[in-house]
Amino acid sequence: MVTADIARPAPRLQTESSGRRALKFLIVFAVAILFAQSLIVVEVKPQDFITGVHGMADILRRATPPDVGKIGTVIWPALETVDIALFGTVAGIIMALPLSVLAAANVTPARPLYYLARGIIAFCRAVPDLVWALLFVTAVGLGPFPGGCAVAVHSIGMLGRLFSEVIEDMDMGPVEALTLTGAGRLQVFTHAVVPSVAPSLLGIGLYRFDENLRSSLVLGFVGAGGLGFQLLTAMNLFQYREVSLLLLVTFVLVMAAERISAALRRLVL
Amino acid sequence: MLEVTQLSKRYPTGRVALRQANLRVAAGELVIVLGSNGSGKSTLLRCIVRLIDPTEGSIKVDDRDLTRLSGRALRRARTALAMISQHANLVKRRSVLANVACGALGRCGDLRSRFGALPQKELDFARRCLAEVALEAQARQRAGTLSGGQAQRCAIARALAQRPRVLLADEPVASLDPEAAEDIMRLLRRLATEDNLAVICVLHQPELAYRYADRIVGIRDGAIQFDLPAEQAAAGAVSTLYTGKAA
Repeated sequence: MVTADIARPAPRLQTESSGRRALKFLIVFAVAILFAQSLIVVEVKPQDFITGVHGMADILRRATPPDVGKIGTVIWPALETVDIALFGTVAGIIMALPLSVLAAANVTPARPLYYLARGIIAFCRAVPDLVWALLFVTAVGLGPFPGGCAVAVHSIGMLGRLFSEVIEDMDMGPVEALTLTGAGRLQVFTHAVVPSVAPSLLGIGLYRFDENLRSSLVLGFVGAGGLGFQLLTAMNLFQYREVSLLLLVTFVLVMAAERISAALRRLVL
Repeated sequence: MLEVTQLSKRYPTGRVALRQANLRVAAGELVIVLGSNGSGKSTLLRCIVRLIDPTEGSIKVDDRDLTRLSGRALRRARTALAMISQHANLVKRRSVLANVACGALGRCGDLRSRFGALPQKELDFARRCLAEVALEAQARQRAGTLSGGQAQRCAIARALAQRPRVLLADEPVASLDPEAAEDIMRLLRRLATEDNLAVICVLHQPELAYRYADRIVGIRDGAIQFDLPAEQAAAGAVSTLYTGKAA
């Protein structure tokens, strides 16, 4: 009997069909073609690095050492940058939370609300934060406020999607158990859904703050305040030592935010 | 106390999961439902608590027909029926005490309980329920840290906090070791006898059914095959539920 089993040919499932191999080859070929066309469209010219090396060396020479004497003028824009991220993240979380509940298929109270919430979240996410900043600068003028608004609106899109995915992936057992006790819909939500998903949502919120801090630096380039605005001004005035100081402060801020948010995430998860 | 009459469930696909089931369970009685996978045991329990809407028939608790209720009235009526299942379905990040006190939510209509708080008197009652299942020492522990048997006892305490008249248990010992399974069955037996609850328990272990049940109900292909006192339910009749032979 054992001999007969050994003599039996290997199951068909273990051998790859020629059709499947051809499909794999076609996929690899298609990806290669796509990458090749991107090289043409992007006009990749590595030789430009060689011809531009003198210019880059000149900028580096003029940017060192960083102008630490101007540190006093950098503190306020740095605080603005952090606060744009903080305001945008908190406002984004506050608005994304109810939307994500409506946009989670397992807890949404009504189908039309589900589609409406999904639509709002997708729209907020589809428009880049830089474009939101341009729109808000046009609407409310220059300064950190349009930056904060842009970060908040874009965060609604990003957080709304992630929050709703966390809610959809949660264990529905406790929800069913509490429903069977005769608890109302809101009671089930606050006693079963919120405690189950809160740590994950907090972790995502902290990670978003980290991302928003980077975004708020760039938003300054379109007049939305913070370090980005200072950086653009310094570059336009060829004050490269101030530029290097601003980049140094940016580096410290980003690294600090990354470390703090990672530590807090470890604490809550 | 609980009276199920001509209860049927036909799914939109045409599959009949339950065929005209009749069942009466009195206070203080422990009825064990046996049957193979897909025979309709869980459908019967889920229809009784109206997690699934039956196609026809009636479910009466103390002469009140649950099949006619919806919305708030159904929620109120559900407080008389507590259900535990194979998985304890606890909120793992909350304390054992908070999980148990959640059983009382059905009778807490105040604003605070709607926003995540639990009334002190219900927390006190939850402590008594925990004592009843010998879990009071774990009250402050996170529910996620409990063992399988402890989690199931916590789920039973939550059901008790509901102050139900009927307790439904859907394979409560399926994922437990034999010792923990005996522990849970002894507890269910005691709740029926001492707390005068009507208990219906779905099981896959005929030996436990013989030891703890007042009556054994056999179900196959959605239809109740027999409903007999435990001492009269012959081993042959029970085994046909699993082998597929005619009774």
